Amino acid sequence: MERTANIDLVRLSPERALPATRVSARLFAAALFSVAILSAVLAGWIPFQFSLVTVFLFAGPHNWFELRYFLMRLPRRLGRSRNFFVVAFAGIALLTAAYLSLPLLFYSRIWSGANWPLAIAVWNTLLLLWLATLVWLRGKQHARRNWGWAWPLAFALAALNWITPEMFSLAIVYAHPLVALWFLDRHLSRTRPAWLSTYRRCLLLVPILIAGIIWQLSGTASLADDNGLAWRVTQHAGAELLPNVSSHLLVSLHVFLEMLHYGVWLIALPLIGARGTLWNVKTIPVARHSQGFPKIVGAVLLAGLSVVVLLWVGFSTNYAATRDLYFAIAIAHVLAEAPFLLRMI
Amino acid sequence: MKKMLLLCAAGLIVLASVISADADIALPKPSPTPAKEARVVRYTGLTIVPDAKSYEARLQIPESELKGLRDALAMVQPDESMLQRLAHSSTRTIMAGVFLFLSFSFAGVWLARSGQRRGHKAIAALLVGTALIGAAAVITRANAGPPGSFRWKGLPQALSEGRATQGGVQIEIVPEGNGLKLIIPLKKTKPNGDEE
Repeated sequence: MERTANIDLVRLSPERALPATRVSARLFAAALFSVAILSAVLAGWIPFQFSLVTVFLFAGPHNWFELRYFLMRLPRRLGRSRNFFVVAFAGIALLTAAYLSLPLLFYSRIWSGANWPLAIAVWNTLLLLWLATLVWLRGKQHARRNWGWAWPLAFALAALNWITPEMFSLAIVYAHPLVALWFLDRHLSRTRPAWLSTYRRCLLLVPILIAGIIWQLSGTASLADDNGLAWRVTQHAGAELLPNVSSHLLVSLHVFLEMLHYGVWLIALPLIGARGTLWNVKTIPVARHSQGFPKIVGAVLLAGLSVVVLLWVGFSTNYAATRDLYFAIAIAHVLAEAPFLLRMI
Repeated sequence: MKKMLLLCAAGLIVLASVISADADIALPKPSPTPAKEARVVRYTGLTIVPDAKSYEARLQIPESELKGLRDALAMVQPDESMLQRLAHSSTRTIMAGVFLFLSFSFAGVWLARSGQRRGHKAIAALLVGTALIGAAAVITRANAGPPGSFRWKGLPQALSEGRATQGGVQIEIVPEGNGLKLIIPLKKTKPNGDEE
């Protein structure tokens, strides 16, 4: 009997994994360097405009690419991973619903503004406990793994979260783009192990560029946030929580990290991972198999494309409101990254 | 007859209660309500800048600071008891403490159950060290900064020299008083330079 859950997906030899290499390691490294340096320059030079343009252009498409990537990694049969995926999808649904309900409770005056940090702290705690459960469940699938450290780590982070919930949430905002780099690392280790050392050397550029941005912009005046849109952008980057830090620096740093995130999902992973046309559902294991679900997968991808187009229409008509809506709903993709990344470790 | 007896009994009870109720003594004057305690609602920074060109002293509050102050004032519960305020402010601290306790407990159990590998010994040593340093920091109050008066110590000299002085300031809501009052914690210094 086929035990799909016990077989690590795409754990194939490099030669077998991708017979038709689209790019060389040098070209890959050059693309990484170019995207990183160009992003840092533009983010430091015109942070506000760059933020608006990147969110408009890449926010929707990168979510679609992530959706497609996750579908690629979804096993046809859950097998021993049933509990893991049940907890993962239940957590994504419940945490997303809770996250979306927080502003609704606030604006409907059911929840007082004074309790806002408390609400954030509770949500962050639930997130940490969910992550710890996933790590623990994943660890249990391999006898040699001892991933019991997940609980003390989650509790320690929860303690930090309760001390300063808003700062903890801001840390998630800044840490989330870096998760994409971890995805790329794991993907390369499976499909292009020979490129891994090159990639990890390229990663050294990230802290250097971050240090450069901080060094150049720490003394600059804060960005004017005299209109609703500018205020949203600076608030998202943490200007209110860090009043002594230039909002120019914060927005630049955030946009730079976001661009790395978009670069991984829109350029790097498609460049090295594509095995056919993007709209061909037969390249997705859960759709390709004789007992798979090609129609459902096709419908999900089509619905995703419709949402991308809707987002572009929304950004064109009312950028500020669409941005708010997008960043509220986009928490689902942030959460979805956790179980799929754990499946790759 | 029965009614008469009842009325007499009721009258006797009322008369007897006069003594214990001190009914012949005028009502005491309502004692003044205890003065409300001052409440710290926000901590912010204050810079005192001597300006030779100005004729009037000014307390400039930036718009962002004003917004924060408004938010802080909006959160003030007018008649909150001391116990309620204590409970309100300490929830997060209690939760943080509980989770820290759980973290160390689970880490200990995990280390105990995961054998005696070299790496685990190092982690155990790190955890014990962190716990000891944390406990020492709490006992010695090592996480506390210098007292507020430290920053304002050089204010008189700085003012006389036309230099700016920067330090923290607590914004209090006091029940009485006119206008803003800026209280600077300046200690008298002995001739040898020590503070009294």
